[in-house]
Amino acid sequence: MATFRKSPFPASQWLIRDFLAPSLIPRTSRTIRCLSTTSNSAAAVSPTEPSYEPQRRIPSSGEEAATSSAPLKKSLTQAQRDFLTSALRVNQAGELAATLIYKAQTPVVVAAHPHLRPLMKHMYDQEVSHFSTFNALVAKHRVRPTAMYPVWTVMATALGWGTALMGREAAMACTEAVETEIGSHYNEQVRYLLEMVENMEREGQDIGDELKTLVETIRRTRDEELEHLDHAVENDAKDAVPHTALVEFIRAGCRGAIWVSERV
Amino acid sequence: MQPLRRRLISSSRLYHSYDHPAPPAATFNQVETAILDASLPHIPTYGFTQTTLLRGARDAGYLDASTNIFPRGPFTLIHYHLVIQRLSLAKQSHILQRSNSNEQPLSIASKVKALTWARLMGNKDIVHRWQEALALMAQPTNVTTSVVELSSLADEIWFLSGDTSVDSSWYTKRASLSTIYASTEVFMTTDKSHGFEETRNFMDRRFSDAQNLGVALGSLNQWVGFTAHAGLNILRSKGIRL
Repeated sequence: MATFRKSPFPASQWLIRDFLAPSLIPRTSRTIRCLSTTSNSAAAVSPTEPSYEPQRRIPSSGEEAATSSAPLKKSLTQAQRDFLTSALRVNQAGELAATLIYKAQTPVVVAAHPHLRPLMKHMYDQEVSHFSTFNALVAKHRVRPTAMYPVWTVMATALGWGTALMGREAAMACTEAVETEIGSHYNEQVRYLLEMVENMEREGQDIGDELKTLVETIRRTRDEELEHLDHAVENDAKDAVPHTALVEFIRAGCRGAIWVSERV
Repeated sequence: MQPLRRRLISSSRLYHSYDHPAPPAATFNQVETAILDASLPHIPTYGFTQTTLLRGARDAGYLDASTNIFPRGPFTLIHYHLVIQRLSLAKQSHILQRSNSNEQPLSIASKVKALTWARLMGNKDIVHRWQEALALMAQPTNVTTSVVELSSLADEIWFLSGDTSVDSSWYTKRASLSTIYASTEVFMTTDKSHGFEETRNFMDRRFSDAQNLGVALGSLNQWVGFTAHAGLNILRSKGIRL
């Protein structure tokens, strides 16, 4: 709105624009602002200011708003820190493996099926960006990376190369298996984190941008992994011989690797 | 097994939050901290002994019997010294950030070196008593805590220096720094030179040894990788599906 005030438009035009403005604002923030009877500070300052702040915590009761002006900053519990530690560690290990699998698959698959080059490159690039995201998070939060790093490096490369040699369908079945496992794993993490955030919110704690961003990051990563799953199925992953055995074998391997990486 | 595992895990690297305050350190409570703090000035005179703890308790205004809250006796004092010195590294702002812009910020390697030296200088006043401490630290009941504390120190130094490697080198870096630090610390207990000059030279030699080893391993790794890739590509160029 500040830009409108500075703008040289006459008052009539101003009004028209102000009338149009609400349709541009997300519904939630608008409805809360209109219905709120508590002294929400954002609403109190300027009720017409259509600033988009979906992250702002609305006090659940007038009493709470009166007593706790600033949300509590409590330290994370041991269980929460344990969870975050193993979550970041296992995610980093998973993305390392995914990057290496695609890296090993790409030359072999592309040599036989050049039309898959853009798809392989697209999936590889996304994995690389996930890997660097989690690398940065692991370093920032001082989490110990998995001790099995060299083992996963060798195993993931062997898996990628081996399935690629078995043909395009097997390579895609490998992607299908890995992404199914990783997708459901990320899903569990998101569920746990949302539960944690909800509990903290109920206790009136400040969640902090750190956790919010983490949930967003994991969600986005999960969506992209599941997109790879779709690509794999579109590219005849189901035609791999023997499909069920191969997929189940790789999935069991993934579960084992996740179990180990969460611990060491 | 369970208590040992618990202890190892609780002191090993856990998620470090920037939004949320760190949980209160479970290692020392308020009374313990008061007594141990008051004991520190007595270490140069009485060493890492029960006497020092007793003097500390008296200075802090507690009864003589209150030293019974330390079942591990003088080792608690050593542990406290290690923790305090480790945490004080974060305040070494002249190493960590250069205030005036005409000075170049230090590289990670030189920050690691400078912080290691700063930590060694934390033992300066008590170095004539440090051999007693090393003997206590090496006792079977204490060795776990000592090793965990050493690895925490290495972790702290690499983190403060701004190192962000999160692959296998995370382990090798911490292991080599722990080795360098521990050997230099032992060397320092027998050093009589002015301003610990000999210790400084010893530490510099250890760091350059580690660096040479790292370079050699890195070159070997690179050579193996290159040869493997080249071989694979030759086979591919011959039309073999690999």
